[in-house]
Amino acid sequence: MRPHSGPKPLSAGASVEVADFVRTYTLTGGRTRPRHRLRLETVLELGPGRPGPALPLECEQILVLCRIRRRSVAELAGTLGRPVSAVRILVSDLLDTRALRVPVPAADSAYIPSSDPAAGNDPSVKLLEAVLAGLKTRFPDAYPQAG
Amino acid sequence: MPVSRPDSPMRTPRPGERPGSGGAGRALRAVGGPAVMKLVVAGGFGVGKTTFIGAVSEIPPLSTEEHLTQAGAATDHLTGVEHKTTTTVAFDFGRLSLDVPVPLELLLFGTPGQDRFLDIWYDLAAGAIGAVVLADTRRLEASFTAATFCEQIGLPFVVAVNEFDGAHRYPEHAIRDAFALRPNTPVVACDARATSSVAAVLLTLVQHALAAALARPAHSTDSTLLDA
Ligand SMILES: Nc1nc2c(ncn2[C@@H]2O[C@H](COP(=O)(O)OP(=O)(O)O)[C@@H](O)[C@H]2O)c(=O)[nH]1
Ligand SMILES: [Mg+2]
Repeated sequence: MRPHSGPKPLSAGASVEVADFVRTYTLTGGRTRPRHRLRLETVLELGPGRPGPALPLECEQILVLCRIRRRSVAELAGTLGRPVSAVRILVSDLLDTRALRVPVPAADSAYIPSSDPAAGNDPSVKLLEAVLAGLKTRFPDAYPQAG
Repeated sequence: MPVSRPDSPMRTPRPGERPGSGGAGRALRAVGGPAVMKLVVAGGFGVGKTTFIGAVSEIPPLSTEEHLTQAGAATDHLTGVEHKTTTTVAFDFGRLSLDVPVPLELLLFGTPGQDRFLDIWYDLAAGAIGAVVLADTRRLEASFTAATFCEQIGLPFVVAVNEFDGAHRYPEHAIRDAFALRPNTPVVACDARATSSVAAVLLTLVQHALAAALARPAHSTDSTLLDA
């Protein structure tokens, strides 16, 4: 691979970090695409499986972090200081061996009776109402202010 | 739809979607745990996004990196290989757990300061409840792109004016005019350093998103006639 002969991005805030990219590429065994659909907000928890042998350090770190509590892809990447693209691939490997799994909230986990009859049973409205109620409970002294 | 479930097809469609993020993986799933919801904090560089997230997050805001691979403009004439550049872009991440009345996890995503990395903005906004467009009155224009982005993808948003010390306070209508906001888009003032102030902005946003969800055709009383 010829390193970095393409054009550079224009912004001074962004940088082409060849060493960083190569390091990530090595970490994932040269792969650039995960096999599982993993969004930034996909949450991972420990699964019943055993990870394979010769685990990269970062995979062990992911398992340690998820043993403490479940974490999203974005949080794992931020905590490890590794790019999301690399963490997606490592997490994907750990999902294959069932060392990690994806918890799915129960359909009724956020069910609270809606105050609006027009809302019906739509979970999105129910969830929004639950968030609103949750925020009000957590922050009782939060008063919206006019701009 | 604000729920983030790995197995549901809802996401903001976009052209040239990166392969991998939409692949059909068969991960082991287990039912349990709180629902996960996303909120976006957008706005230009230095408007207070990281401070805002830190004010309510139960972990110090993380700076999460993503590599964006862009096809290079040039092709190698000898090998015919198209060059790609990889740009590192960072976004903020914070987390807020709610327990009462039901356990919920709110994930807070701050957009990168440079608004030319729109690719990552789509990932941050996909499936989100809505966005807080944070603005600094000394340079409102730094947050115009954020408001335009939300409008274009139909993401409910509020404009929160971060009142820096000594900065000029504008009346609400001046902010509305500058952003060319729709009449129902809320405008609030806040202090990004103060937890209760930031929480109030989040309350306003969720209230607004709820109103928008209720106003959608599926929730109008007429829809029962169509269903019958
Ligand atoms: N006085 C004051 N300073 C603030 C406020 N919000 C942020 N700052 C400061 O403004 C600077 C930029 O804030 P930061 O959160 O890093 O902005 P970001 O680039 O949007 O993430 C930091 O030095 C903050 O401490 C505020 O509400 N009032
Ligand atoms: Mg910042």
